[in-house]
Order: sequence, then structure tokens, then C-alpha cells
Amino acid sequence: MQFTQEHEMFRQLVRRFVQDEINPHADEWEEAGIFPAHDLFKRMGDLGLLGLTYPEAYGGQGLDFSYTVVFCEELGRADCSGVPMGITVHTDMCTPALAHFGSDDLKQQFLAPSIRGDYVGCIGVTEPDAGSDVAAIRTRAVSDGDDWIINGRKLYITNGTQADWVCLLARTSDEGGYRGMSLIIVPTKTPGFSVSRKLRKLGNHSSDTAELMLDDVRVPKANTIGPEGMGFILQMQQFQRERLVGAITSYAGMEKTVRDTIAYTQQRSTFGQPLIDNQVIHFRLCELLTEIEALKSLCYRAADQYIAGDDVTRLASMAKLKAGRLAREVADTCLQYYGGMGYMEETRISRAFRDSRLLSIGGGADEVMLGIIAKYEGILPGKKKARPATTQPAPAIEPAIEPAIEPATEPATAPVAASPRTDDAHEARAGAPA
Amino acid sequence: MNIVACIKETPSTTAEKSFGPDMRLERRKEDAIPNPFDEYTIEEALRQQEKHAGSTVTILCMGPATATDTLRKALAMGGDRAVLVSDSALAGSDAIGTARVLAAALQKIGFDLALFGSAAADAYGGVVPSATAEFLGLPLLSYASKLDLSGDSTARIQRAAEIGYNEAEAPLPALVSVVKSINEPRYPSMKGIMASKKKPLDTFSLADLGLDPSSVGGAAARERAISSEKVSTQRKGEMYQGNEGAADRVVAFLIEQKVL
Repeated sequence: MQFTQEHEMFRQLVRRFVQDEINPHADEWEEAGIFPAHDLFKRMGDLGLLGLTYPEAYGGQGLDFSYTVVFCEELGRADCSGVPMGITVHTDMCTPALAHFGSDDLKQQFLAPSIRGDYVGCIGVTEPDAGSDVAAIRTRAVSDGDDWIINGRKLYITNGTQADWVCLLARTSDEGGYRGMSLIIVPTKTPGFSVSRKLRKLGNHSSDTAELMLDDVRVPKANTIGPEGMGFILQMQQFQRERLVGAITSYAGMEKTVRDTIAYTQQRSTFGQPLIDNQVIHFRLCELLTEIEALKSLCYRAADQYIAGDDVTRLASMAKLKAGRLAREVADTCLQYYGGMGYMEETRISRAFRDSRLLSIGGGADEVMLGIIAKYEGILPGKKKARPATTQPAPAIEPAIEPAIEPATEPATAPVAASPRTDDAHEARAGAPA
Repeated sequence: MNIVACIKETPSTTAEKSFGPDMRLERRKEDAIPNPFDEYTIEEALRQQEKHAGSTVTILCMGPATATDTLRKALAMGGDRAVLVSDSALAGSDAIGTARVLAAALQKIGFDLALFGSAAADAYGGVVPSATAEFLGLPLLSYASKLDLSGDSTARIQRAAEIGYNEAEAPLPALVSVVKSINEPRYPSMKGIMASKKKPLDTFSLADLGLDPSSVGGAAARERAISSEKVSTQRKGEMYQGNEGAADRVVAFLIEQKVL
């Protein structure tokens, strides 16, 4: 990962934005259980922060993923994890499939205003009976002329109470397992769509999370992203980016947590000496910093792979797994060194402790990551070894991708494009379906 | 209208500062940023440009050759081009030497309005705008908290006073130094950052400006730093103990501090 002066200037911009526009409000938004996504996204859209890798034709910057790395690193330094999560759901979790495989009309309708910050997006995959087991979803879209009529429920949806549209995964045929699903853009103002509950969570309080209800929701079939029936595959690809972004965002926050703890233990004295002078403490903090650096290097390698257009599934899964576990270890260890103060709501470490728990669950649980890695290593009982994608150009979406652990988890996916240095290139090579 | 924003490269306010044996600040490239006060200078230049169609904004800086990075950062906010005056003979210049150089550069560039920050965050001398005006024989409207240009011929400013404000005006071309309350500097946008590397950036030497090297730099400096001392951040507590009079002393202290 090579960073240029432009990267550095961009880093300063995002750092300043976090300091000025997020951190002063973090306590208030945590308390409120929501942040004002439309206001914040509009300001971010004006600065060009919401479509870093997306085509300039839709208002994006046309840059490569290295700028997303910088973006996530700086967001991760915010005084809460909820707001960065809400932002990255919008920029890198609900929009990649739309940007790569949506029709021009669909992108004009939903991607362009999302990049401008006029719309807030969310991703609707998880259901009451299908989380990590994505292939088990029940939400169904039934064909009616040129429309889909959609019925179902979606659960744990970040940005769900204030989103303008959902990138929804639904069954569109009776084929079982991972086949017969499509990704469909559903505007939330469509009759029959409702937010049935705003959910209360353990952490990430500043981010709103919803249960969504779809009751005979009618949307045009033209709102389908890519070919009908390819939703599962597209979502699996979208997940790779989601996991990578989640891991990158986390390590910057972990480093801040450790550095804050170093500062605290330097000024906190017990038994006549600063806490940090205890070898058990300064050694332990150094071990954590070492682990964080190792995770960062893994993420950089994965990001380089992603930029090169190689299959990033194995490294992204490893990065996500490691990030989820290390986030917990860092927060728990550091909280201990804060003592009673760390147990108080007023300290950032108690928030970090709560927030850290999500990463091993959201975006595919640790166990799903392990299943994918095992598949890639060829040690998953009864399953063939996953084939990493080559860098040879692929003509279009590869439909015959075999699930890794179907139906319990998800398939190893090959990237559709050969060398997506930017998403423009990605799209150009993959060929946007009509 | 040609608008020039004069800026300085300073160390980041959070950077660890150290001084050489001649008491000059040791400047490290990695700590360099545009003088924080000059963000207001650049912002005001851009706002005046937006109000006066067809205007150009040039960002001018005297500094080491590496200050091109700082100028790119400034250009990310906006502006059309940048000029760096850099020459090894400039090392150690004092405020008067700096003003002499800026005056020559402004003459070479040509301007209707030259904007300055009220001071730089490293030295806080606050002399350069007035000295530059003196070299140019042009008016300086200092410490502006508001600036209006009427009819492209006059600059009118407001300067905050203890009660209300003073107004002053001068014919263009003129120099104006601005204070923080004049505006809220914009963030550089992503597009601005990417565009900044494509904007023209010229470097002038002393020879380009027709200046005699002996008139500037450390040897010509009439101002000399004598010593520096780190501000002690150690806080001294005062303990009031016992039952007799402790509460009264706390109250007296709070009254003295105007808390009560």
C-alpha cells in the first residue's frame, strides 16, 4: 500500500471532519440512539467523501480502494463506532453491487443521490431466521408483469430507520439454497414498506438499527441489480468489501484505544508509581500494538489484492476474523487498566468495550469466516477446495460458483472483474448488465 | 481582479518544537503545515474571488523548497496558482527581510488586493503585513474582521474594537490583514485535493525578484532571538486543610478567580 501526498491531504481532511463534525456530537448521538444521517451525509457529499471509488459519471471520485483505506482509518478514530458504521454501510456495504452491476438508470436514481448525500442507503440481507446462513432467507419477490411484489422481514438493519432505500436480498424463484435470489433496490417510501421496530443494542448506540417489514411492496423489476437470480453471488462479493472495510475501520480505533490507555496509565499512579511502570502493563500494551500492526499489514495486503482485482475472499475473511477477536481483546484489556474509571459511562473505553463486540458477529460471524478460510485451505470436511480467482479477465458474471459450505454459510466467490483498479475499471471490464 | 493570499509554512501546533544554537526554530518537513491563521487568509481570498467574477487567486509563500507541499495543501482549498519564493540565501530572514521579499514578489506577480493573516502561529511577530505595505508604499488595512470591495476600486474593512467596530477604507491596490472572526475556512474538498496537483506552482529565486542576497537572510536580520523557554505545564495545587477557615479560604479563592 503506497500513500501519496494526495492520500495524506485526504487523510487530514477526513481527520478534521471527524474531529469537527462527529466527535463533538458523539455523546449526544450515543444517548439519542441515532445520528442525523441526512445532515451528516449531505456535508460529506459536498466534500466528495461518499463515492471515493465510484464512477465520476455518478458524482464519485473514480479513485482506487487505497483512498477507502485512508477513509476508514480516519473514521475509525472517531469517539464512537456507531457513526463510522452508519457511514461505511452507506459508502461500502449497500452501494458496491449497485455501482458495479446496476443499470445506468438505477444508478442515476439511487447511486448518484447517495454519493451527493441526498439519500441514505442500507443493506437488507439478515432476517429473523437467516443471518450468517444467508441462503436461508425467506423474503420473497413475486413477479407481476414488470414489477416485483415483495413480502418479508429484515432484521438488524443499520441505518434502517432513516434510509431512503434498501439494497434488498430476496428470493425471486423457487430454486433452493443460494440460487434464485436477487438484489433489488426498494425505496422506503414505497407503500407496504415500514419500519416495525427500532432495535436497542448492546453497543454502537449512535447508529440506528431497525427491523423492516415488507407487505406487498411493489417495485419495478428494473430495480433489480444485475441479472435476476444473481443476488446471492453479488451479495457475497459485496460482503468481501464490507469485511475488509470493517477490519480496516476497526484497527484504527483499536490503536486509539491503546494510545489513550497509555496516556491514562502514565498519569494514574498506584502504590507510588505510574500504572504504566508495571512491566505487566507496558509489556501487554506493546503486545497489543504489535497485534494491531500485524492486522494492519494483513489489511493492506488484502487491499492491494482488491485493488489488483484478485480474489480477496481468503484474506478479507482472515482480516475480519482477526479484527473481531483483537477488537475484543484490546477493549477488554485496556478497560481493565482503567480500573473503576473504565466501568463508568463517561469514559470512552467503556463505549469501546461495548462497541467492540459487534465485529465478531456482524457482516458474517467469526465462525462463518473460519468456514470460508477452511474451504480455501481445502480442509473443510466433504467440500472441495475453493478456487481462488485468477487474474485472467472474466467476461461476465460467473454463475457457476459453488458455495463453500452451502447451505450453512456462504460460497467462496470469485471477483467478477479482472483488475478493478477503480470501480470504473471494474465496471468496464465486467460489463454492466442491461 | 488579482488577489494574492500571502501565507507562511509553520510547524504544526502540536509538533514538538526545538531550537538550533542560533535560537532559530528547527523546521521539519513532516511537521509543516500552512500557518493556521492563513486558512482565514485563503478563505477570504476565495470568497472575494467568488464575489468578483473573473478574479484570480494566487497563493504566495516564502519558504524552503519543500514548502511546495504546503502550497499544494493550500491550493486544495481553492485558488488558481501558487508562487513559492525559495532561495538558500533567505535562511534566517527576520520579519523585515521577509517583508522585503514578499513586497518584491507581489510587485512581480501584480495584484489589486494582497491578503495576510494577522500573525504566524510560530513567531507571532505580526509585523510582516505592515512592513510589506511600507516597502510597497501602499496602504494596509489591518486586523480586518470584515472586508468589502466596492466597485473594484476601494477596500473597506471593519476592525473589532472594545465596543463595536471601526471602519476604514483604502483605494486599491491595497494590503489587508485578516483576523479569525472574518470567516469560517472551508474544508478542502476531495475534488480540490485531486485538482491541487495540477495547478501551476512557480518558484522564484532572489535573482528572479532582483533582490540582493545581502539584503535578506540571517546576516541582514536586525531582529534576533535571544532565548526560549518552555512554558511549564506543571500545575501547582494548593491544599486547604483542617476545619478552621478552610471553607472561607476556598470561598475567597473563588471570589478572587471571579467564579463567584
